[in-house]
Parts: sequence; structure tokens; C-alpha cells
Amino acid sequence: MSEKNIIPEPQQSLPNTNVSNDQGLLQWISSVDHKQIGIMYLLMALLFFIVGGAFALLMRVQLAVPNNHFLSPETYNQLFTMHGTTMIFFVLMPAIFGFSVYFTPLMIGANEMAFPRLNAFSLWMTFFGGLILYFSFAAGGAPDAGWFNYAPLNEHNYSSSKGIDYYCLGLLLSGIGSLTTAINLIVTVLHYRIKGMRLNKLPLFVWMVFVNAFLIVAALPALNAALSMLILDRQFDAHFFTAAGGSALLWQHLFWLFGHPEVYIVVLPAFGIYSEVFPVFSGKPIFGYNIVAASSVAIALLAFGVWMHHMFAVGSGLVVNSFFSASSMLIGIPTGIKIFNWLATMYGGKIRFTVSMLFAIAFLIEFTIGGLTGIAFSIVPIDWQLTDTYYVVAHLHYVFIGGSVFGMMCGLFYWFPKMTGRMLNEKLGKWFFWLFVIGFNATFFVQHILGILGMARRVYTYPDYKWYGLLNFISTVGAMLMGVAGLLLVYIIFKGLRKGKKAPADPWDGFTLEWTTSSPPGLKNFDTITEVTGRRPLWDLKHPDMRDKM
Amino acid sequence: MPIFYSHIIHVFFCQSMLNPSSTQAHDIYALFQSFHIAAFGMLALIIFLSFFISIKYRKKKNDDSIPKQTTGNKTLEVFMISIPTLLLIYFFYQSFNVMKAVEPAVAGDATPDIIITGHQFWWDANYTNSKVVTANEIHLPAGKKILLELRAADVIHSFWVPELGNKMDMIPGKPNFIYLDIDKPGSYAGLCSEFCGAEHAWMRMDIVAQNEKDYADWLAQNSTDATLPKDSLAMEGSEIFQTGTCASCHRIRGTNSLGVVGPDLTHFDSRKKMLGGMMNVDSMNIYKWISDPQKVKPGSKMPDFIFNKDTLQALTAYLLQLK
Amino acid sequence: MKLLVGTEAMFFLSLIMAFIYLSVIAGYVPAEQNALNITSTGIFSIFLVASSGTFMLAERGYKKSNIKSMKVWLIVTIVLAIIFLFGQGKEYVHLIHAEQITISSSLFGTSFFTLTGFHGLHVFIGIILLSILLIMAFLGDFKKPGSNLLSTAGIYWHFVDIVWIVVFTVVYVLPKFNLIK
Repeated sequence: MSEKNIIPEPQQSLPNTNVSNDQGLLQWISSVDHKQIGIMYLLMALLFFIVGGAFALLMRVQLAVPNNHFLSPETYNQLFTMHGTTMIFFVLMPAIFGFSVYFTPLMIGANEMAFPRLNAFSLWMTFFGGLILYFSFAAGGAPDAGWFNYAPLNEHNYSSSKGIDYYCLGLLLSGIGSLTTAINLIVTVLHYRIKGMRLNKLPLFVWMVFVNAFLIVAALPALNAALSMLILDRQFDAHFFTAAGGSALLWQHLFWLFGHPEVYIVVLPAFGIYSEVFPVFSGKPIFGYNIVAASSVAIALLAFGVWMHHMFAVGSGLVVNSFFSASSMLIGIPTGIKIFNWLATMYGGKIRFTVSMLFAIAFLIEFTIGGLTGIAFSIVPIDWQLTDTYYVVAHLHYVFIGGSVFGMMCGLFYWFPKMTGRMLNEKLGKWFFWLFVIGFNATFFVQHILGILGMARRVYTYPDYKWYGLLNFISTVGAMLMGVAGLLLVYIIFKGLRKGKKAPADPWDGFTLEWTTSSPPGLKNFDTITEVTGRRPLWDLKHPDMRDKM
Repeated sequence: MPIFYSHIIHVFFCQSMLNPSSTQAHDIYALFQSFHIAAFGMLALIIFLSFFISIKYRKKKNDDSIPKQTTGNKTLEVFMISIPTLLLIYFFYQSFNVMKAVEPAVAGDATPDIIITGHQFWWDANYTNSKVVTANEIHLPAGKKILLELRAADVIHSFWVPELGNKMDMIPGKPNFIYLDIDKPGSYAGLCSEFCGAEHAWMRMDIVAQNEKDYADWLAQNSTDATLPKDSLAMEGSEIFQTGTCASCHRIRGTNSLGVVGPDLTHFDSRKKMLGGMMNVDSMNIYKWISDPQKVKPGSKMPDFIFNKDTLQALTAYLLQLK
Repeated sequence: MKLLVGTEAMFFLSLIMAFIYLSVIAGYVPAEQNALNITSTGIFSIFLVASSGTFMLAERGYKKSNIKSMKVWLIVTIVLAIIFLFGQGKEYVHLIHAEQITISSSLFGTSFFTLTGFHGLHVFIGIILLSILLIMAFLGDFKKPGSNLLSTAGIYWHFVDIVWIVVFTVVYVLPKFNLIK
């Protein structure tokens, strides 16, 4: 327990503490060190990001001009399904887990996660889940019913290839991996905090990860149950979702009962990263810690009461629709307030425009767009017009990319020196930032207009209506820019790893405990840390005369 | 809105929700506009603040002083919460009113004027007050409140005509209803907006709104049985159609073809488009289609047949005279 | 373990909701409900509930460092659980052979077998868990007091038990009173 000693060691001590630090690949595969596992999570996310991104580019090429025949409809449908599934389950989830398991122990002054072996188990479950999903390509066809895989299109008679069976198995495995990671994170935060770090002094990133873990524990079972039922339907002719007796809507209820919290699952840790980056690069503490922390809890609770806003067009009647409309608007408030908190954090500071901070500032604007279009969907009549159009596609990418991916980039450029001991090239990083942001907006902003003009989503081609060709072409060009930016990012990372400047322990003048140890931290993160008294332990150390008052 | 503005909208953005043409669509469009004005205001505020704060408080060279360490401001926080909340309450109220107007509860015994059924990649329209059954080109009366019943034959589809207002999902086993009150005669493009399989992209339809007289004429014309073939080629086509497998999936009223799996072809040639809006009805397209359906529209439910040239020509001629 | 139980609870909640949801929509044949034998299953249920009690006795034995009593009560718990599983198996055989109800035959079959099947699986996992504890006890791993293994397993075991009470109520009892159609 944290009261007993300054740096708590996990009860199951590391099996390889006495082994030298460099055993090659084997050491990575067999590792139970939270830092190596975190890095492997991030590498896995990067790998799948490249694959999922390539799928997206293929789709944009197909959509560049009206009535195009570059891809067959079957191929196109598999690509968009795999793009969505990959990006959510095998890019964003591993990326947030990567940062979570790497930095949660470091930021709370622990040497390991609570259950190191479980941690490794989770990683490999997630990874093999991904492999199984991709194995479907070799087994006769990838899943082709969209990432939310509506019944009864996901049933045997409408999708007879094995794809959806692999989808179920892959997501079940990775879902189990996510659950165990979440449990691991909760126990770590509860039991391994450094002396003096009470829950209300947690760094906001850790707080968000903590809240998020509860969200995962509560949301994922709904998906697992739905997937189990679907497997029974497909393999044993059960009737959960079939037209013969079952209910197609049941799948939607279960899926979105998981699926909407999922959106917050991938965005809350990103909020945590921003809540670390804004203060550090503004030289000020976060504005309204309590509001930021409490609003995350509000989001987590409300997230379970909004699932039917994905289903306003199923004909549920006035009462049900009104209820979910109100709850969806309500969840916009705690999300929206944070934007003002971050702006107020910058206000009156001394802002340093590192790549990490640029991404954070760009996020404010991009996420506002995604948030506002989100409110548009909570206004039911507008939803009736715009749901399942490119307006949704634009909205969800502004949330997932503008919210989560920008957060991952922000975290990557912020923590890369800590993880590898080398700095990333800031100049190239800025090139990457501008390419990515311009490409992103070119790709997705025009999609709002396409949606308003009546272009449905998930179409492999479209008739040559007014503006369709032009707007789609702009979108494709933007996607290509993002593709170039993605390649540049890979180059920056590898260049940074090989030739980057050596990073000091605290390159950014940071506030939290991870910057007190060396870069990269040794196998044992810390030897000793003085007792924590405030929310910014490192600031208190550097400025003993200006300690934060609690 | 000034007339000039709506004219521009009409010229530049036809066939979209920006050109509302029914009572329901007008209500939604008004809400859409007021929300987007507020949203743009909010966005402009955030953009302004982001740039303003970034520029004003950027770290200047050689300035190593420590900024004031503020941690919060109660008054500001109260404003941050209350203003968005008030805005949202306003929009919830508006939204509620529009919902009530656009999708009122449908009485249990209400009989729909038309039953529209979504099939994988085409639409079936059954006019309850007459014998008319048609596909993909749906004629509706303008200036009159009508009730549509929406069903699905296989997977979930969604009925959406942007100019006429709200979309509504078609769910197997759960009939849904929408009311429509179309302003004026005209042609409106509709489409399926729930992903429904391989050819979801080509599940489009044309709504033709007509004034009372034209609509009555159209109903009368379409409730007749199919015209009998006159020239020998078409007669040969009819023979092949009725005795071959065509008849087990398609219906042509007045003949032995009674299938209900594929679109009703009784007055096939009176429609402008075929294959869910993919191409126009003309002899070349029909010929191409029946000679290799899976190449023209891969994934559609029409199987590949092996026909020789003469058969193809006869069938084409037969289909083309189904006025 | 509490968290694991929490997430499992959500899983079962989803399944139970699905059962109720499916039972109120069209296509559900209430008559098949009558094929269930509430009395015999009720008796077997008592065995499962009793096993929770015997587990508590095993725990008490451990706390009092009475390893022998702990072993005995563990064995009794396992036996009771096996009897319950046997009862479930008997009911399945009856349904499948005598009543021709299978997972693919009807909506009722689908939801019934899935819900009770997943519960049965959890009982089975519980039996494995308890057997491991028992083996450890025989190997002498529990000679010292202070291990929380037993109480942790207990959380799981009681949870499985409580789930069954809910499942039993929803699947067997409520339909008798037409509380759900």
C-alpha cells in the first residue's frame, strides 16, 4: 500500500529485474515491463494506423470522381468496414492503452502496474484479436457490414463469407484485452500512488485514464454479449437478430450501449493528455481542475444514457426520442466546458509553440467543430435529415481525429523524449503538423456540405449531381495530403529514434513526476521521490517558494 | 429569407435538404438554419479566442519571468456552464416542437396511402387504394397530406428524400410510418441511407409529385394490365419471359408472371430509370443488363443467365413495350 | 475481482435484457415457456444457493485456522455445484429430446439456452476455481492465515449464485405470473 514506503514495488516482482536490459526481440515479446508494453501498444497502433490509413486512401481514390469503377462494390464495402473497425479497435484503443500503461505508473510514482503479467496478457490479446480480424482476408473475405455491423445484414444469409465470424472473434479477444487492462489500471491507480498523492491530486491524465477504465469495464460487456449472440446466430442458427423471430433492433441497442461510451473511451484519455500539455506549455496550472475532473465523471455517467441518439430514425416515438435528445445535449455541456477551461489555462500564460502544443491548440478548434455537429445530431429533426450521410462521416472524423488522434499526436511529441531518450525533430514536426491539419480539414470539412447536399455514407459511388464531383475531389486531395503527412510522421519517428538529440530528463520544464526520472526511465522507474503535496509535484520541487496550495 | 437567397439555393443546391419542398421539410430546414447560425457563432468565438490568446500570450524571447499561477475563477466558470446550457434548452424546446409536428403519433387503425418496401437494392411501392404496384419511380400527390408505411423485405433500409424531409428506417418486422405534405408538383430524388449491402449506392428512387388530376391519370393508367405484345419479336420475348425463370421473380399483371421477389414490371417502360437509378430505361441498357447482370450491378439479386443474342433481343423488345 | 464481477454483471445484464426484450416482441411463443419444469429446477437451484452457504462455512473454517473444516466444506460446495450442473444438463436433455426445443428452433430456445448456458459456463469455471483451491489446500498452501485467495474466490462464487437467482426469477418465475409476456 502506498502509505508504507516511498516507492511501492509490485507484489509480483519483475521476473527479469536482474537481467541485463538488452535481450533483443525475445525480451520485448516476453516483457512484463509496463514501459515496454506501452511502447508495443503504440507500435501496434502505428502499424494498424498505416494499414487503416491505406484503406482510407483507396476509398478516397474510388470516390474521387462520380461513377468510378476503381474498386468493386464488394471490395469497397470490405474496405470501409475494415477501416472503421481497425481505426477504432486496433488504432485508437491500443494508442490510448499505450499511453495509459506507460505513463500511469510513472505519473503516480509507481514502479509497475498492479498486475504486470496481466498487462502483457492484455497486450497480446489485443494484438491477436487484430491478427484474427485480418486473417479474414485470407479466409475468403473481410467483414463487409460496416464497423457497427447492423443486423440482419451481419447474418449468414446476407453476409455468407467468413468475415463477420472473424470480426466477432477478433473483437471479443481484443475486448477481453481491453477489460483486463482497464481493471489493471484501476487497481494501479487505487493502490500504487506515491505518498501524499490523494485522488484529488492525481495528474489529470491519470484521472481521465482512471475514469475511463470504469467506463470500459461497464461498456465493453454489452459488446461482448452482442458478439456472443451473433456468433450463436451465425454458427448455431440461433435467432437473436434474424428476421425469423429475432429483432434487428436488439443488435443496435446492444451495440450502441457499448458504442457510444466507446467514443468517450477513446477521447477521454486524449482530454487527459491535453490537460497535461496546455498547462506545461502555458507555464500555468490547469484552469478549474475540479471542473475538468468532475466533468469527466459526468461524461462517463451520461455516456450510458445517450445510445439511442444513433437510432433516432428507427421510429421510436416522441417520448423516447425526446429523452435521448435531452441526454445527448446534456452530455455536450461537460464536454464543451472543457474547451473553455483549456482556453482559460492558456490565458495569461507564456505559451511555447512546440509541435505538441500546436496540436493541442488545433484540437480546440477541430473538436469544437466536431462537438457542434454532434449537437446538431442531438436535435432530432436535424438528425432525421442528416444521419447516415457524409455529415456524420465529417462529424465522427472531427471527433475521432480532431479529438483523439490529435491527442495521440500531442502526447507523442510531448512524451517521445521520455519514452526513447531522444528528441523528435521539431522543425519537421511542424511541417507534419501543418500538412496533417490542412489535409484533415480539406478532407473532412467539405464532407459536411456533401452530407447536407444529400450524399449518403457508405456508398461506393455516386451519381454526377451538382457539386458532388468537385467536393469529393477536394476531399480526396486532402486525404492524399494526410497520407503524405502520415509517411512524414513515420520518417520523423525513425529519424528521431536513430539520430535525435539526446533528451534530458525534463526537456519541457514539466510539472509531473515522470519528468523527475531519467529519459528513458530505467527498468525500475524511481528510487525515491519526496512526498507529494500538490497537484504539480515537480513544479513544487523547482519553485519551493511558490508551491501550489491545496 | 429574401427571395433572392432562396433562388440561389434552388439553382445551386437542388435535390438537397436546402431546397425543402414539403411542410415537414420546411419545419426541419428552419431549425437547421437557426442551429447552424448559432453553431457558426460559437465556432467563430472559439477560433477568435484560440488565435487571440495564442498571439497575445506567446512566450517572447528572453522573457523568463513566471506567469501568474491562477487556478480558476468561480464567476467565469459559472458563465461557462450556464450559457451553453441556456442555448441547449432553447434548442431542445425548438426540437421538441418540430418533432411533434413532423412525426406525430400514427393511430393504430390508420390506413397508409402507399406501402413502400425496401428490398436489397430496389424499392417496391404498393398503392393501397388501387391495383397499382410499381418500383423505384414513386408517384405521389402534391398538396395533400399522405401517410406512407415503410417496410423492409430483407435487411434494414432507410427511406430518405432530402427535399421532402425526415428519413425513416425500414426495419424487418417493424413497420414505420411517415406523413408527407408535398408543396408542389416536381421530381425529387430519394435514396436508401442505411447501409444495406453490396449495391447500397445504387438504391435510389425518383419521387414524382403530381397535381390532383395528373396523379389520378397516372393511377388510372398504371392500374391497367400490361399491354399485350404486338410485333413478333416482342411476342417471342413474352413467351420466353412467361415460360422461363423470369416469371418466378417478376410480376407482369395480366400475364402468368406472378413473382414478387424482383420489381413489378407491368408498366416498366413508363419509368425513366432502372436498377435503382443506375441507368436510364432504353434498349441498349436493358440488353446490357439482362446479358450480364452481375457485371452491370455486382451483388444484385438478379442471377446471371446464359441467353443467346436472339433471346436477348426478344426480351428487350418485350420489356420495351410495357408502357 | 470485484471489478471483474462488475463487468460480468454487465454482461449478464445485457443477456437478461435481451431475453426480456425478445420476449415482448412478436414471434415469441409463450407456450414454450410451459415446457420448463419450475419445480425440479427450483430444487436444483436450492443446491446452488446452498453451495454459497457452504462456501461461507469453508471461509469461516479458514479464518479459525481450521483447515480440515475448510477442506470439508469446500468439497461439499463443489459437490453441490456439480449437482446443480447435473440438473441443468437433465433439463437441457429433456428440452432437446422431449420438447424439440433447441437453440435454433425458436426465439425462446435461443434466448433460454444462451442465458442459462452462459450461466452454466460460469458455474463450471467456478468449480474449476474451487477445485484449484481445494488442491492447494491439500498441498498445504493454506496453512498460514492471512491469504485473501479464498475470500476473492468467494466474491466470484456468490456472484454466480446471485446471477442465478436473477436468471431463475426472470426465466422461470416471472412468466408464471405473466409479469413478462
